[in-house]
Amino acid sequence: MLIMSRRRGESILIGDDIEIVIAHVGRSRVKVGIRAPRETIVVAREVKMVGEENLAAARTPAAAVLQMLLSQLLPEVHTFTAVDDEGSVRQDAGAKN
Amino acid sequence: MPEIDTTNFGTISFAPESIFEFPNGLPGFDERRRFLPVQNPRTAPLLFLQSLEDPALCFTTLPIWVVDPHYRLHITAQDLELLGFAANRQPRIGSEVLCLAVLSLRPAGTTANLLAPVVVNLKNYKAVQAVSPELRYSHQQPLFPEGAAAC
Repeated sequence: MLIMSRRRGESILIGDDIEIVIAHVGRSRVKVGIRAPRETIVVAREVKMVGEENLAAARTPAAAVLQMLLSQLLPEVHTFTAVDDEGSVRQDAGAKN
Repeated sequence: MPEIDTTNFGTISFAPESIFEFPNGLPGFDERRRFLPVQNPRTAPLLFLQSLEDPALCFTTLPIWVVDPHYRLHITAQDLELLGFAANRQPRIGSEVLCLAVLSLRPAGTTANLLAPVVVNLKNYKAVQAVSPELRYSHQQPLFPEGAAAC
């Protein structure tokens, strides 16, 4: 990783059209100004990670989570777990516990 | 009571005052602002968050202390303000806020997002997905780590 030392008010150029300005330096935080083309997506790394995780979570059907949890919590019950035509876990799955 | 059609639960009726309102949506779903908490005694303590704007969008969650009994909140000042709290302390899980971990299904098993819990102010039902900038917790915490005994 390239490391550069900068003071408040100084800036860094990335390519031809992205500028990073050190706007404020506090005790444990820095404020950074970013000048970039409108189409460049600028987002904190953790927010991008969570966005991708939410997309994965949204693709997870509720019934599939239930079935997975059942099979992990109660492996011996697994053989009784069944999914009906609509994809929901049959109610007798837990009753055998 | 108003009703909505949902992909997971069919048609359900709900009390309008039970809606969780996310003023900024959730990361990846910026336009989804209103979610209905859905619970079934058979699947407790799972809590489903059903979008009122998208019948197919439903997150499966667990109360955070079910996943990690020692979990500690680190909500940013900005998110505290969105929830309606003062920025000088973290709200108490249980008495002041509901705190939920969103689950994802992966080939290796179910994981919980502890990096960004859904936090709901129990007084006004304002909600945020509070992304912790400190990366102290994983966004893919296995629910059943290798070697842990199944009950």
